[in-house]
Amino acid sequence: MTTVTGAMLAQVVVSGLLAGSLYALVALGLALIFGVMRVINIAHGTLLMLGSYATYWWFTYLGWNPYLSLPAAMGLLFLGGVHDPVDEKPLEKRAPELSSLLLTFGISISLVNLAQLAWTSDLRSVEFLTGSYLLGPVAFSKARLVGFAFALGITVLAFLFLGRTKLGKAIRATAQSREVAMVCGINVGRIHLLTFGVASALAAAGGSLVSVIVAIQPEMGQVWTFKSFLVIVLGGAGNYPGALLGGLLLGLVEQLSSLYLTTQVSEAIAYLLLVVVLLIRPTGLLGGRT
Amino acid sequence: MRSTEGSRLRGLWALLLAAGLLLPLGGSALAQQPIKIGASLSLTGTYAKLGNNQHRGYQLCAKHVNEKGGVLGRKVEFVLYDDRSDPQTGVRLYERLITQDKVDLVMGPYSSAISEAVANVNERYKMPMVAPMAATTAIFKKGRKFIFMVQSPAEVYLEGLIDVAAKRGLKTAAFVYEDTLFPKATVVAPGGSVDLAKKKGIEVVFVEGYPKGNTDFSAILTKIRAANPDVFGAATYFDDAVAITRQMKELNVNPKLYGVTVGGDLPKFYELLGKNAEFVYGATQWESTLPYPGAKEFTEAHHKEFPGADFSYHTAGGYAGCQILVEAVKRAGSLDGEKIRAEILKMDFDSVYGGFKVEEDGFQVSHKMVMFQWQDGKKVIVWPENLAEGKPRFPTPPWGKRE
Amino acid sequence: MKRLGPALLALGLLAWLALWPLWASGYRVRFMLELFMWVALAQSWNLISGLTGYVSFGHVAFYGTGAYTAGILILRADWPWPLAVLAGGVTAPILALLIGYPCLRLKGPYFAIAMLGLNEVMRVVVSYFDGLTGGGLGLSLPTLHASVPVYYAMGATALGATILAFAIITSRFGLRLMSIREDEVAAEAMGIDTSRYKLYAFLLSAVAPGIAGGLFARDQGYIEPISVFPLLTTITMIVMCLFGGKGTIFGPVLGAVLLSVFQELVWARFLYVHQVLFGVIIVAVVLFMPKGILGVLQERYRLPRTI
Repeated sequence: MTTVTGAMLAQVVVSGLLAGSLYALVALGLALIFGVMRVINIAHGTLLMLGSYATYWWFTYLGWNPYLSLPAAMGLLFLGGVHDPVDEKPLEKRAPELSSLLLTFGISISLVNLAQLAWTSDLRSVEFLTGSYLLGPVAFSKARLVGFAFALGITVLAFLFLGRTKLGKAIRATAQSREVAMVCGINVGRIHLLTFGVASALAAAGGSLVSVIVAIQPEMGQVWTFKSFLVIVLGGAGNYPGALLGGLLLGLVEQLSSLYLTTQVSEAIAYLLLVVVLLIRPTGLLGGRT
Repeated sequence: MRSTEGSRLRGLWALLLAAGLLLPLGGSALAQQPIKIGASLSLTGTYAKLGNNQHRGYQLCAKHVNEKGGVLGRKVEFVLYDDRSDPQTGVRLYERLITQDKVDLVMGPYSSAISEAVANVNERYKMPMVAPMAATTAIFKKGRKFIFMVQSPAEVYLEGLIDVAAKRGLKTAAFVYEDTLFPKATVVAPGGSVDLAKKKGIEVVFVEGYPKGNTDFSAILTKIRAANPDVFGAATYFDDAVAITRQMKELNVNPKLYGVTVGGDLPKFYELLGKNAEFVYGATQWESTLPYPGAKEFTEAHHKEFPGADFSYHTAGGYAGCQILVEAVKRAGSLDGEKIRAEILKMDFDSVYGGFKVEEDGFQVSHKMVMFQWQDGKKVIVWPENLAEGKPRFPTPPWGKRE
Repeated sequence: MKRLGPALLALGLLAWLALWPLWASGYRVRFMLELFMWVALAQSWNLISGLTGYVSFGHVAFYGTGAYTAGILILRADWPWPLAVLAGGVTAPILALLIGYPCLRLKGPYFAIAMLGLNEVMRVVVSYFDGLTGGGLGLSLPTLHASVPVYYAMGATALGATILAFAIITSRFGLRLMSIREDEVAAEAMGIDTSRYKLYAFLLSAVAPGIAGGLFARDQGYIEPISVFPLLTTITMIVMCLFGGKGTIFGPVLGAVLLSVFQELVWARFLYVHQVLFGVIIVAVVLFMPKGILGVLQERYRLPRTI
């Protein structure tokens, strides 16, 4: 086994943080949906996939800069998200998570296969930014660095939205207690739709940023869904700063275990972490809503 | 009353008589019934792109065979299903083709994994299967009698890279592989890259697998950069080949020789990476420029029949596999499974794909793998020497020193 | 006399199924074999999730465990396949015990996520110990012409699972489980040791998938991690159970039969839209008939609880 030097460690930590920021961005959307609507959204990765494709097609046919078209992708998915049927009927009272899991899975599988029919499984990529900046022995991939900046920026904006604006506070109120929010005059139904829209937009943003980095294909979303679950378990479901820290943590864990052990094992370790955290501290490492 | 029954009976006799008169016409039509060749292909799903190439290979072969008069006086017709790139589905489909659709012959599916899964089915029904896209040795070493290999095995995919390295006196090598059937076999199976390197006196300083779907190779490449191998071979599919190449540039990993396996030969590889694909070596089972009998004609016919369609060695492999089966049936003079098998085992045949000769267990021993290098946007075959069109540009210059 | 009619019908059905391989083509036998497998899976999911309300979202983990147990024993230890398959039915509940004991303490959505994570962990663990399991290379069993015996074995498994469901639902044990589903706190207050009962149900629900997985491995002859731990299998067994009516005895059977037939008809002809349709079905079942067919019938016609 190769001995690990400081330079190697630094490189891997950087990679982990860059990757983690994207995990955080996407997971924040999932955390919102779960916190506010108590819905486990298996289709989350699929939303990201749609964002990636949107960016790709705009880039290929209209020549739009993927970073500039990012708001458009967000807007598109937001509009789609607010029309979601997930919350329409009062689902099984005794096992609401079953209904939401199945419903979102059904939507996901339909969308993924429609994407396959429409665009085939051919791998695509937005060739926009390649290469890296070198800072001493550590290389910062350009595409991932820009992704990191955007991800952080959007996450911060999201926090400001949730913390400072009236709508944001309404969302947080609904997450805390649906009944009390209703009593306070908040239109809970509308808040749910809005939340789903915002979460979809966040996923789309992730997709947009990722389109420059990885291969785009209809099934790319599944991995992101699982990772988002990992993040919200680590950070605490419904805990929004937790999603950010959880994301960064996951990125680091993946890269570090890849460095010190093997890349194959890093996958296993991430999932083991999930189970362990769930057992020991189900409210997440930072503690969150239950 | 009786009379109505009688008239009914008479009507029935009339019908039977009419049928009897018409039967000879039907009978002669029966003799012209085409020979049905069943297969399942990955027309959708992860392998769709290459599965469709193989599909076109089968279609073109059937067309050419029929133009030349068919086989045993009959035309051939493919009965095809889509296995959605899933081995389990493939198994069901072959079972259906054989027991329900009652096909006369079968051809193999796409990929080693699906071929492995369905091999049990045709084995059970004693129907010989030429499996053009099965390149994993293990499939043919299980005591099966009815499956036959067309490709060079996975284990030799990086042989060219290693051979060139040895000839240039390089000393150390690193290998990575996707942790699935085919790429893993390429590197770690007996006779695979690790063994080949050791035999040539090259020290293997790093071997690691990564899970399918992995997109971030920073850690693995960081370790490789630290190990500083002369040669770096990656047993990949398409998207990981692209990702690894990209990240090698980002992380400034500079081996003197760098090669990939599957995916490096697709035009899309160069499209996506542009100049960054230069100097990359790739392994391919076949290129249209190789001097095999009928290869040029086949390529031209394909472009005429399917203008604009994707074209790769999978197309050629499909075509050749069908060629081989048809030839075996011709020599056997019948559709009997055992007789066809006997003929296949005797064959030493040159198809458009190259040499075909199998051992008793169906393992391919005649076909040669070639290695190319991307030079100025073109694939130039650089190994083995007797088939080479050009020389390797060696060593691969470090990323920083290219314009 | 009243009981005779349905009993004769049931016997007739069993006889027909038993004689099926004698006149049906290999492909049709395979179809029934898979149908039996789905019945067994849907029933087993019913035992834990239908009765206790704890949504096991990674139930396929037991299936995969059974598949690999049987595969490894057949390939590396030369066990005869019936024994190896039964061993699968033992290792799966052991896994259930290890996982269930800590996880059943978790609340609803967390249990679901934990089970989901469990499935992925199993898949990755199996990939990792590749010396034993072949890892990404998969596990390939020696060719065996055993489709018909496996057919019977799978049929027996499906039958066994249904009988088990019958036994539980008509017993006090079953009643206690259902009380957990209705209101766990009240159940505890009434003195029911919910932790223990949940665990029993969980263990029992792992047996059938373990055996079914082992049989699947023997029949296919080749397994790889991705093929025996797919989320889609869990979802399919859930949808089948829901569609027929969860918490009932014959609901899972009905759901498995109807959906298998539907899949068969659609899959062969409309390949490209097959998955999309399946997704639509899932959505429709959840939105419009969460109680399933039998559930609706039970309410409408006041059918007994135990059907």
